[in-house]
Amino acid sequence: MPEEESAPVAEPLDLVRLLLDEIVCVKLRGDRELKGRLHAYDGHCNMVLGDVEETIYVVEDEGDEEEVKTVSRKSEMLFVRGDSVVLIAPQARSS
Amino acid sequence: MLFFSFFKTLIDHDVTVELKNDIQIRGILKSVDQYLNIKLEDISVVDELKYPHLSAVKNIFIRGSVVRYVHLPAAAVDIPLLEDATRREAANQAGKAK
Amino acid sequence: MSFFGFDTRKPAVTGAGFSQARDPFAGLSEQVDDGEALEFEDTYDGLGDQLDETDDVFNDDTFGDTSGITAAPVGKDFDFFGQTAKVANAIDEEHVRFNRQAPVARAAQPNIQPSAAASLAQVPVTTPSSYNYASASQKPARTGYEKYNQEPVAELQVDAALWGVAPKKQQPTQPAEVSAPTAAPSRKFMSVEEVEAQMRAQAKKPVQQAVPSPAPQLQPQTQSQPAFHYDQAYQYAQPTSLGPIPPEHARLGDQPVHPGQGHPIAILQRPHSKHATPPQHVPQPHAAPPVHPRQQPASHVPPTQILQNPNRLSGDATRIVNQPHGAPPVLPGHPGFPGHRPQGSFSRQPHLMGQTSQLPQMSEEEKAAFMEQEAKRAKRNHKIYLMSRDNGIMTPQDKNFVTRIQLQQLVAATGNPNEHGTDESLAEDFYYQVHSQIQGGQRQHPSQPLNNFAQTYLFQTGSRLGGPRRHNRGPENHMQRMEQQVQRAVEAAKNKPKNKQLVIEGSLGKISFSNAKTPKPLLNIKRNETAGEVHRPSSAHKHIQAPTGRDRKTELRSIEVVYSTLMEMEDHDRTMPPPPANDDDAEGRDRHIAWNMAAQELNKKLWKALRVHDEQANGGVHPFIALLSYSKGKKAMERIFRHTTTEQRATILTLIVVNLDNLDVVRGAQVTTGEIQLNAAMRENVELFSVAVMPTLFNFLNELELDLVAGVLGLVCDRNLDMIAKSRIGASMLTMILSRAESIKREGGGSEDAWRAWDAQYTQLFNLLEPSLPHMFPGTVNTGDDMYVWQLLALIGIGASAEQQQRLVLAVKDRVMDTVTLSKTLPRDLAHHRLGNVNLFMHSIGLDVELLQ
Repeated sequence: MPEEESAPVAEPLDLVRLLLDEIVCVKLRGDRELKGRLHAYDGHCNMVLGDVEETIYVVEDEGDEEEVKTVSRKSEMLFVRGDSVVLIAPQARSS
Repeated sequence: MLFFSFFKTLIDHDVTVELKNDIQIRGILKSVDQYLNIKLEDISVVDELKYPHLSAVKNIFIRGSVVRYVHLPAAAVDIPLLEDATRREAANQAGKAK
Repeated sequence: MSFFGFDTRKPAVTGAGFSQARDPFAGLSEQVDDGEALEFEDTYDGLGDQLDETDDVFNDDTFGDTSGITAAPVGKDFDFFGQTAKVANAIDEEHVRFNRQAPVARAAQPNIQPSAAASLAQVPVTTPSSYNYASASQKPARTGYEKYNQEPVAELQVDAALWGVAPKKQQPTQPAEVSAPTAAPSRKFMSVEEVEAQMRAQAKKPVQQAVPSPAPQLQPQTQSQPAFHYDQAYQYAQPTSLGPIPPEHARLGDQPVHPGQGHPIAILQRPHSKHATPPQHVPQPHAAPPVHPRQQPASHVPPTQILQNPNRLSGDATRIVNQPHGAPPVLPGHPGFPGHRPQGSFSRQPHLMGQTSQLPQMSEEEKAAFMEQEAKRAKRNHKIYLMSRDNGIMTPQDKNFVTRIQLQQLVAATGNPNEHGTDESLAEDFYYQVHSQIQGGQRQHPSQPLNNFAQTYLFQTGSRLGGPRRHNRGPENHMQRMEQQVQRAVEAAKNKPKNKQLVIEGSLGKISFSNAKTPKPLLNIKRNETAGEVHRPSSAHKHIQAPTGRDRKTELRSIEVVYSTLMEMEDHDRTMPPPPANDDDAEGRDRHIAWNMAAQELNKKLWKALRVHDEQANGGVHPFIALLSYSKGKKAMERIFRHTTTEQRATILTLIVVNLDNLDVVRGAQVTTGEIQLNAAMRENVELFSVAVMPTLFNFLNELELDLVAGVLGLVCDRNLDMIAKSRIGASMLTMILSRAESIKREGGGSEDAWRAWDAQYTQLFNLLEPSLPHMFPGTVNTGDDMYVWQLLALIGIGASAEQQQRLVLAVKDRVMDTVTLSKTLPRDLAHHRLGNVNLFMHSIGLDVELLQ
């Protein structure tokens, strides 16, 4: 597993570790966002999220006005390949 | 190796692979390797009308790098174990980095 | 019109080919030499206006060469093979000449080897490659044709096939068909074009004859030489497009000077990377009308351009061709000399036509350049040959064998799957190994001592869907045990009703009476609300609802430390040494002591991470309780209890009970009276707590003696009992405590004093709880999953005195009646279930719902 040696990670990924089993927001390439419970991750930011809701932002160009629409999809368990990941953020707690 | 290990336990389960070009392919996970290349059998393409070009394909090899998501059957995932495996992986990597 | 930039100012013997006549820019290159900018009007002779050149360039393809070089008869206009015929003529002629004048050179050739060629290539040359020609010549300010500079070369590629037709009849005329016998081996690799080229090459044999012997080891490829020549021709064609004639090229073009060798060969090489371009780009400035007719000996025989296919092996032939002809008398450094450029204009046409070998006329330098290129080519070809020599040396079986070896090496590198016993390999593949063990699937290595891990995760709670685990003895099991415990307690109570008569009387007769004078709902609601507010520290409330980022991070970090430590402890457990065999086994004893020391260290670490003894933040929630607000904190409880001492567990239990009304699952999950339900996140939270934490506490509580249970109950009574009772977790906690006492009672445990203490505690509880009793039910009678409430009521009823039982009945009578009424409208199964729940309570006080119907 040579990839991990190159990861000077201890710090940044430790923060992600704190979010294990917590609800996280993940921003992805292609104007996508995921919100779900983080069950696994690795040094590549590959992840497994549970009870995920995916939001895709689509810009619809209707004549002059550009309208951003969102498409939502759900998945009970989702593997996310790390090369699409832009950022991982904790979700503000709401109880 | 965490996810390689993880996917090995999902072999013979139904999964849906979503590619970076938005095509979703459902099939039985038959094998996986350390690059998370994926072999699916008995595939069907979600939204086949839109992507008819795979209609004739039954088995498929997917290069890991083109995968965006893999939708998994939640029942096949042992969440506490997975989370602990993740912690162990993180600890291993931290240990290696030192 | 020179397609490839050959200097057409000196037309070949042919005089004006059709293209030459049409090139209005023919004179340009001369003027360019003056370094002056060109004026179109000055240089344009106007001829072009009279001509329609559209597609003229194809004429030759279509009709064969109509130029007068070989004086093709009109009858051959439509003979597509006519060119070849002409070539044949030329070849014949050249062959005769050659035989006459160069026998010596021919004799010398067989000795030439590739290595010799290589050494020849080192002869100093002014232009290592034909591409440099342009640099050697004076560049015009502009020619107006710059954009064509590169294109004509590529263009030639397209046409390669066009020249590939040679009449077979020519073959017999070849006196020395040297390489024909060896052609067979290479033939199978040829494309159609190549075959054609080969055929034509055979027709052209005289050229080769001049150079008859290819290098011995390359013999199989000699057949392809003709094609090879074509490519060389391309290469030479290219530089001509670059503008003024470079000196080398001029020399090359000096065929006329060569004594006796009337058929110069222009070897054109095709750069492999070039791409075809449309022939329309052909017009070239150099295709001048015979500007220097004087330099064109009238008797000059048209040179032959031979194109070579780069894909063919063996450049030897070319090299050899160059060799024998010595130093042709040329006019070196004569830039303006057109050389054989006029022939360049024919390159769209079959080059063989009317042209003969030019090589004899080439200067030493030129030849050296040829040589060098040929040497390179030969070198490469030789390499290819050497490599291809081993083709087919391995059978498919051999290859399979090698593949297997490679796979074995791969396996060895990544670790033999059969050796997954070590901790290291386990670390790499932890999830799979343990998962397989838990699933009971065919693990490859049953010997692997994973039981420890399997144990950890097998009973691990929190798997959302319960997972596909075989042994469902996890959380559900605990809940069932609690239900059973309640059931048993109720059964026991039913069998010995304390005052059945009174109870029945109360339920049947007095209920309405008391009911009328107890407008409890309103009153109680109000009172409960105020009571709740009083007890609720606002700061704590805020803390639970929205922990600050820093606190949250700290808490999360603590939990992760807890998990790390737990995993360390689990790993440590696996390494527990066997107990010392006997007293003399000092080493074994030491090992054991060391192990225990380490275990204690880990325990301390865990205890610290749990922050049980940490100060409660001012007005805030106890840090440990805060940990329990995270799902992974809840999930950790069972494992924590497995790795802590009884005292530590008791401390934890006490801490939880003391903070019961501070738990988010109690405080944030108060039952609602309306249809409104808790939000999904909190429902999940509550569910997780009851699945992950409660069973652990329940198990521990079931080990406690009555005095401790009474103590716990006392602690609860000090809290905001209303709030506790009105939450599912709080009510379940009360149920747990009461059921443990009933269990002890059934088992005959507990001392007199303890029971006295317990009864006092119970009475206090009952009094405190009574106002809340009617409001413990979640939702309306239609929506609520209220079984846990009936369980609590049943346990309260069991312990209650007759008087307390009456108060109990009065408090919950509405719900009982509503449920009974509702159940009549429900499907049988559901009705049975609902009534069963109610009966749990009714039985505890010696009643049954049947009595109410």
